[in-house]
Amino acid sequence: MQKITLPERPHWRAQAKDVGFTFADMHGEPYWDETSAYAFSLDQIENGLEDPATELHAMCRDAVAHIIASEHLMERLAIPKAHRDLVAESWKRSDPEIYGRFDFAYDGQGPAKLLEYNADTPTSLYESAAFQWQWLEDQLAAGVLPEATDQFNGIHEALVTRFGEVFEEGSDLHFTAVAGNPEDYGTVEALGWAAREAGLGAHYCDLEKIALSDDGQFLDDEDRRIAVLFKLYPWEDLLRDDYANHISGSGCLFLEPAWKALLSNKGLLPVLWEMFEGHPNLLPAFFEADVADAIAGQGAPSEAVAAAFGRAEAQLGAGHVRKPILSREGASVSILKSGKVIEQSISSDYAELPRIIQAYAPLPQFDGFRPVIGAWIVGQACAGIGIREDRSRITQDLSRFKPHYVTP
Amino acid sequence: MIKRSNRVAIAILGATAFTLAGCREEQVDAAAYPNLQSCLDDASRGGIFTVQDCETSFSQAQTLHVEAAPRYDALEVCEEQHGDGACGTEATATQGGSGSIFMPLLAGYLMGNMLGGRAGMSAAQPLYKTSDGRFTNATRSSTFSSNSGSAKLNTSQFTRPAATVGKTPMTRATASSRGGFGASGSGRTGFGG
Repeated sequence: MQKITLPERPHWRAQAKDVGFTFADMHGEPYWDETSAYAFSLDQIENGLEDPATELHAMCRDAVAHIIASEHLMERLAIPKAHRDLVAESWKRSDPEIYGRFDFAYDGQGPAKLLEYNADTPTSLYESAAFQWQWLEDQLAAGVLPEATDQFNGIHEALVTRFGEVFEEGSDLHFTAVAGNPEDYGTVEALGWAAREAGLGAHYCDLEKIALSDDGQFLDDEDRRIAVLFKLYPWEDLLRDDYANHISGSGCLFLEPAWKALLSNKGLLPVLWEMFEGHPNLLPAFFEADVADAIAGQGAPSEAVAAAFGRAEAQLGAGHVRKPILSREGASVSILKSGKVIEQSISSDYAELPRIIQAYAPLPQFDGFRPVIGAWIVGQACAGIGIREDRSRITQDLSRFKPHYVTP
Repeated sequence: MIKRSNRVAIAILGATAFTLAGCREEQVDAAAYPNLQSCLDDASRGGIFTVQDCETSFSQAQTLHVEAAPRYDALEVCEEQHGDGACGTEATATQGGSGSIFMPLLAGYLMGNMLGGRAGMSAAQPLYKTSDGRFTNATRSSTFSSNSGSAKLNTSQFTRPAATVGKTPMTRATASSRGGFGASGSGRTGFGG
């Protein structure tokens, strides 16, 4: 894995504008950045990222079954009591998953380490699946990259296949997101294209415009019934909205399904560590409530995790990260080394929630930037990657998206 | 093995275009026939459709008829819309249908020269009589003066009509409230991660 400086495509800004990629610059900073790219060997892609991600998704499915069987774990993951059945039912009915994104710390040498699973509302799909792909095609055509250079990016085709597996041809799907956010919308439309290519009808409606019918079904902005709703809006928010009580009786299939609320939750990380302690792609992780005193040197860990904590104590002591169980774009995350905060995110959203402790896996540094590898799961297998890098140790919403390629 | 897609969708069209992208206003050659035989006759004279097109389309239109014909709860209501003698029960139209649901009889079909397999589209559409002696499609969104002849039509004419069998999505309903989603996230700028 290397970071290689490459000439930018001369017309990429015009191209971005033409195709509607309006968030290529965000907050006055470049978001799409092709002044350099990450290069991987095929071995790094297949054995370092693809296979581990596919395996981790299978482990996560095991974790869902485990959590659903335990009121205690549902509680720890802050699933509202009133909606635990909704979550459990979605799993028992095998409501299908479409996509998700693992975030990995990976330097090309040691095993990729799972930082978290964006299993419910991952974004940056458009730039991963489409714009990055176009970049490679253009750079190949321009002779900037040698012939036979590849990219780990079968995301679009995998999505088309997945939609085709899950839905009968001609089915109507609705897609929704909160109005006025081009970044979220880009992801939604990338999914809509894939659904349409799979022979399905794709309709968009702003989330705030969804209505409830007299007989308890959800309707779009033209009062048409919604049979399937892809929502780029997290379950933890849906379950706290006014319509939450109407979800289970609506007959509407939600995508991602409600059971993804258990994966897109940092509480997943200690559960995985408990189930698969020592797995090469996992970092030791615990619920803070179990180990807060022990980590501060002021007491013992709770009995259930005492042995596992003992085995991880030295690693946690060297550095650990504290994350609220629900947070996105790095909000309220802090990194501690030898008891001192070495980095803390600016945003304090989600600060009131329970937290987990995870051993610190520093991101590798390339020219002063730290990349996080996003490994896309489509259906149940890894289909491609997208990379975001940040100057900070915590990847936040000012990070840059970097293209990648696989060396021939 | 190549690890990237052969093709992708590169354009972000925006929310307004999204709904319409499956049926943009491009035009196709289209023809209407009162029955299968008239289509076959036309094909043998070298019309725009082949014998096989006729047969496939006629069977598609019949399937759509069963699935998506307008349905009424009384014969009088159906005949008000489609004219005297132009309706029958669901039971006569399809096995296992109800004797107390009424549908117009199939009065022809509209064929579009499509590029095949397009999402949410059907290249053959059933036609029904209207009470004033013209013809209409399953959703009754378009009216044609005749059930035979050819023309250029917008592809949107070939949007697959919503199913009316049972209680289905995409039929219209009355909204009792709106705006019950989205409040929990207010104040944040993005919802993905």
